[in-house]
Amino acid sequence: MANIAALRIQREFKEVIRSEEVAKCAIKVELVNDSFTELKGEIAGPPDTPYEGGNFVLEIKVPETYPFNPPKVRFITKIWHPNISSVTGAICLDILKDQWAAAMTLRTVLLSLQALLSAAEPDDPQDAVVARQYKEHPEMFRQTAKHWTYVYAGGPAKMPDLDDKIRRLTDMGIEEHNARVALSSYNWDLERATEQLFS
Amino acid sequence: MADSWTQSVVCRYFKNGMCREGSNCRYRHWNDGNNETTSSSASSTNNVCRFFKHGICKFGNQCYFRHSTGTIDNNLINGNSIENSTEYASNISTSTARKNIKDNTRIAEEWVKAPEFVPLQVAGSSSTNEASTNSGTSTSSSMSISYAQAVNPSGQASSPSLEPLCPFAEATGICKKRNCTYLHGDICELCNRAVLHPYNEELRKKHTNACVKQHEVDMELSFAIQRSREKSCGVCFEVIMEKASGEQRFGILPNCNHCFCLSCIRKWRQAKQFDNKIIRACPECRATSDFVCPSMYWVDTKEEKEKLISDYKCALSTKDCKYFNKGRGKCPFGNKCFYLHALPDGTKTDVGPPVRQRRNADADVDILRQLILWDFFEERNSRWIYDVDLEDIVSLFSSSEESDWSEFEFPIE
Repeated sequence: MANIAALRIQREFKEVIRSEEVAKCAIKVELVNDSFTELKGEIAGPPDTPYEGGNFVLEIKVPETYPFNPPKVRFITKIWHPNISSVTGAICLDILKDQWAAAMTLRTVLLSLQALLSAAEPDDPQDAVVARQYKEHPEMFRQTAKHWTYVYAGGPAKMPDLDDKIRRLTDMGIEEHNARVALSSYNWDLERATEQLFS
Repeated sequence: MADSWTQSVVCRYFKNGMCREGSNCRYRHWNDGNNETTSSSASSTNNVCRFFKHGICKFGNQCYFRHSTGTIDNNLINGNSIENSTEYASNISTSTARKNIKDNTRIAEEWVKAPEFVPLQVAGSSSTNEASTNSGTSTSSSMSISYAQAVNPSGQASSPSLEPLCPFAEATGICKKRNCTYLHGDICELCNRAVLHPYNEELRKKHTNACVKQHEVDMELSFAIQRSREKSCGVCFEVIMEKASGEQRFGILPNCNHCFCLSCIRKWRQAKQFDNKIIRACPECRATSDFVCPSMYWVDTKEEKEKLISDYKCALSTKDCKYFNKGRGKCPFGNKCFYLHALPDGTKTDVGPPVRQRRNADADVDILRQLILWDFFEERNSRWIYDVDLEDIVSLFSSSEESDWSEFEFPIE
């Protein structure tokens, strides 16, 4: 790895550990290997959003050309969000692509992602299904996102009726996550989800 | 008998007292012109004994050479007939000469007080003459005046304000000479050196002004260092003054006040993977700047920055533009280029406004094709590879609207 990238990540790592956001448990960075090329980030779901109370783990890969190129970031924790792929965790955020600036840091990236969770951009979606739901059935989106947060990110809100629908599908031999994806994609319409799963 | 030219050269053997050729010598012997009959023994007596001159000759009266402090002219007048009397005189002068040497060493300590510069030998002869008449008086008793006065015979005319300062005291503040006859200046409070002329108000003022000015420059520099010391680059996060010696340079953006090291901001502005709008913007605040100004120190105030940038442009305007290449090339920046567009004979030329790029992609492609073709010819004809690589040119031409000056190197500093 280019020297400047490693050196900068080291400095940033120290900076982010000392930062007040870490003190408030809002963000967290951990090393995955010794060479500072790969890190594990964690952000707390922002308050007053369906993600509140959840902890979202991120994979951060630092390219050799960092900071002249953005780090490659994706969600490891499954999340229901218009700008994040519910399948791969890929993030659609301008600063991680063409709007990157060399002065941005791991800390600002994580904080930007946190901001993205509270202010989705459905017109520039990563996950078209989620984005459509976000625009057409906002309440359904909130429920779904909350449910996903509860299941995958350790969120507090239990959704008994949604769990019930999933159990109906798992009883039919469908894997739980697939059942959840199908139900979420069809606005928790059990019939259409079943149809899609068995077609 | 002899060549004419040798006759004009004095025989060096004869000069030293002995020539076996005698009158047959091809070279000239003393008095050859006047008197052909000079023998070797006679000539030797015309030569003064070297040892005697220094006060000691162990041969005494038996010496082959003359024991006399008189000049050769005197000897010629004296002649051989009065040899005895001169020998007698020389005995006396031997003792006086010795005494003189003693005196000289004692006096040497106070040489600065000597009335005037007197070569040793002349002094010796003159004191010999004096010694016979009034042996009591010596040079030490005469009025002591400084060299400055000796040089200027009308001593009273020179005013004290024109006298020079003691160079030792001026340079180091220490003058080891106890009774130094030079003026010792007053201590300048600013530079702590004894350089203020005690009598010359004009020189004092001149020095104080120079000192104040130097002090201001020093202060400015230390302020610059102070405000630069802690600054770190917004890209590499390193403290710029603590980087490797070649990289301790700031890249100042004209349109915002964010701090970067020159290498980082230049690298960012050359990034190919982003839009020009992104890379020409400050990585921190996204304010667009057209160029980066290199600087050894950080600038805080608007005035400092303006001065820095105008100095930078001024320095660049004296350097030949590598694109214009003394008229052989074409500069894409046109008359907006910071560099010098001058023909080989030195005349400056206005190449007109820069070629505006159309946003339309076709135009860009056209220009690129031209460049590649031109490059190809260039290489084919002379096998000479242009030192600007094609990528550079491509990035130059693909830049929209304004041009990016930071691509230029600035080798001054």
